[in-house]
Amino acid sequence: MLKLFEHETLDVQNLSEEETAIRVEKLNLQFGQKHVLHNISMRIPKNRITSLIGQSGCGKSTLISCFNRMNDLAPDCRYDGSIFIGGRDINRRKENVSQLRTQVGMVFQRPNPFPMSIYDNVCYGLRLQGIRVRRYLDDAVEQSLKDAALWEEVKDRLFESAHILSGGQQQRLVIARALALKPDILLLDEPTSALDPLTTLFIEELMASLKKRCTIVIVTHNMQQAARVSDYTAFLHQGKLIEYADSDTLFTMPEHKQTEDYITGRYG
Amino acid sequence: MIKTRIEAIMNPAQRQSFVISFTAFLSTLLLLALVSVLALIIYRGVAYFWPAPVYSLTFVDDQTEQAKAVYARVFSEFHDQGDAVRLVVYSSSDAPHGTQALIDEDRILTLVESVNSADITLNDGLSVLGVPVQIRASDNVRYSEQAYASVAEKVSSIEQQIEDIRTRWLSAIHQKLSELDVRGVAMDAPAREKLNDAFRQWQNKIIKLEDQRDNYTLKIAMADGTTLSVPVASIEEIVFPGQLGVWGKVGVTFGHIGQFLIQSPKQANTAGGVFPALFGTVMMVFIMTIIVTPFGVLAAVYLNEYAPDNLLTAIIRISVSNMAGVPSIVYGVFGLGFFVYVVGGNIDALFFADTLPAPTLGTPGLFWAAMTMAILTLPVVIVATEEGLRRVPNGLRAGSYALGATKAETILHTVLPMASPGIMTGVILAIARAAGEVAPLMLVGAVKFAPNLPLDTEFPYMHLDRQFMHLGVLIYDGAFHSQTDAEGASMMFATCLLLLLVVLVLNILAVLLRARLRKRYLTN
Repeated sequence: MLKLFEHETLDVQNLSEEETAIRVEKLNLQFGQKHVLHNISMRIPKNRITSLIGQSGCGKSTLISCFNRMNDLAPDCRYDGSIFIGGRDINRRKENVSQLRTQVGMVFQRPNPFPMSIYDNVCYGLRLQGIRVRRYLDDAVEQSLKDAALWEEVKDRLFESAHILSGGQQQRLVIARALALKPDILLLDEPTSALDPLTTLFIEELMASLKKRCTIVIVTHNMQQAARVSDYTAFLHQGKLIEYADSDTLFTMPEHKQTEDYITGRYG
Repeated sequence: MIKTRIEAIMNPAQRQSFVISFTAFLSTLLLLALVSVLALIIYRGVAYFWPAPVYSLTFVDDQTEQAKAVYARVFSEFHDQGDAVRLVVYSSSDAPHGTQALIDEDRILTLVESVNSADITLNDGLSVLGVPVQIRASDNVRYSEQAYASVAEKVSSIEQQIEDIRTRWLSAIHQKLSELDVRGVAMDAPAREKLNDAFRQWQNKIIKLEDQRDNYTLKIAMADGTTLSVPVASIEEIVFPGQLGVWGKVGVTFGHIGQFLIQSPKQANTAGGVFPALFGTVMMVFIMTIIVTPFGVLAAVYLNEYAPDNLLTAIIRISVSNMAGVPSIVYGVFGLGFFVYVVGGNIDALFFADTLPAPTLGTPGLFWAAMTMAILTLPVVIVATEEGLRRVPNGLRAGSYALGATKAETILHTVLPMASPGIMTGVILAIARAAGEVAPLMLVGAVKFAPNLPLDTEFPYMHLDRQFMHLGVLIYDGAFHSQTDAEGASMMFATCLLLLLVVLVLNILAVLLRARLRKRYLTN
């Protein structure tokens, strides 16, 4: 089992406040008449990789999108309950969503670089913050691309269009773009499902190296991936949190029958 | 029933090739129609510039029933109620500037191309067909190209002197006189007398120079042996079509095209050039584009990005599409009623009240025309922009939001740049529509003849309140007033060709720009 950073295993059911990055309390979410998330409560530990697994349509992508309020974009989305990040409830009406999203970065299933140069892609978020100082931007671009393990490949063509990059490079660029804002939490929504196995491995290694600097929550369909990269795993089924434990326990000795059925491939 | 009949005669392969031939046939028809219209415009348009041969023609005059010898240009031959007739324009001693006539083929006695005769174009746009025989100056010289060139040079130097006096001295004196007027100096004051004397002196000098200039004349022999004297100063160009080779004719053609592009119309828009109309058209289209693009784009952004998906939005969308189908003259009437009378009239009442009842902005002009055309082309821009906005992948929007961008920032930095090829498509369509539109323009500012360009060296340089000339209006005017005028009609074809080229050039520019944007914002 590939684990670059070994550390003590925490009990996710009883995390202390300092160890918690995201605290979800009694989260319910509906799209129109469709009840998607049922009464979810969980604590996601700091500087660890937590993966969300479950069948298609079980609500794992919706849950991860709650952490940076991307669900607000759907016009018929209603939710209640609380999500605490950095000590405040982000589900408040007064929450500054733009600022929240700089704090909680997100990477999507399909690489979505903007049709600009590589440099401008990485600067996008910083420029939105009003940062215009060239030297600061240069440094941030270099650092972010290094963090995303892309610097060596693109350092000579920073000002060429991001579309010349391969799929895996584009996905790392998107990660670099999120890292440029120095987020506390990075949400990855099936980041490797559109990539080939080798590139996937590369991104997984990247995730392992990133957890020093931020908390990572990843949604994945790939059980091996969840087992390989994540420290903790949550299993969702039909909008309910069925089981949540450290990955070793969950994949070797699941408590619930549904979890066992899913991870052994009996359905889904 | 028909289907079974078809199946009975044709096997599947034949049926398929039948469908292909049928659709191809219709496309070919369409293409043919387009190509023939284009070919006609190009042929007649270019023929206008080509130095047409001058014929020496003798025919039996309808009225006098006597033979008449003239130099003529033949425009077309056709059959009129079974008789072959020719449309000719000829110069005779009693009408040197050209008479247009339809002559029956059987009344023509001789028709041969004349090598010696020339097509002499005068400054006022008229032309004389005849043989230049003699140049009269201090002494009489036989006509030759060199002799004419040297005389023409002398004439132009005299004209230069006259122009110098006018600009350097006369206008200065004029200015001083008007200053005296302003100061209320008495009419018999010595200062005024002195200026008046100087003015008279210079004017006498000009009259002398003009006499001297008009001493140079060209004697032209007509076909019947009479001669005609024309001042050299009034001659613009002498062309001998019979003596020119093909390349010579090509050269003359390009010269004519150049003159056509830089000169003003002459002889009530049936001769001369079309520069003011070309300028007016391009300027109107540019101003229209500047107005319509932001309005159309913002409206489309609201409809596509902000407006809730409900019945009202659907109604607005349908209305916008329907606006594209409203007859353009309706927009012209709207522009006249709303922009000119209501908006312009109110601006006049508020800011230019001291010059009323003479209107300042409450009269048709370039700006109101551009505004009217902007409204007319607005639906096209809105629809195309919406199409472009819809094509922006939602993943990119999400990516932008995820980096902390607000909706407005996302639209500004990501969505609009990516939709820019769509916006350009709308602008291209708008330009093509606006450049070719005539009817509404005649109500809101385009005129047959405008004394001034809307752009000049006088403050504020851009005179958006001025009326302007437009190629389409020129064509409309010419086509309706020169139905029987062979030369005027030819000029209308040339103007048509120019308008087509203007639209083509504007479109090519926009298409190139769009291609660049597409390349830049290509999505994978």
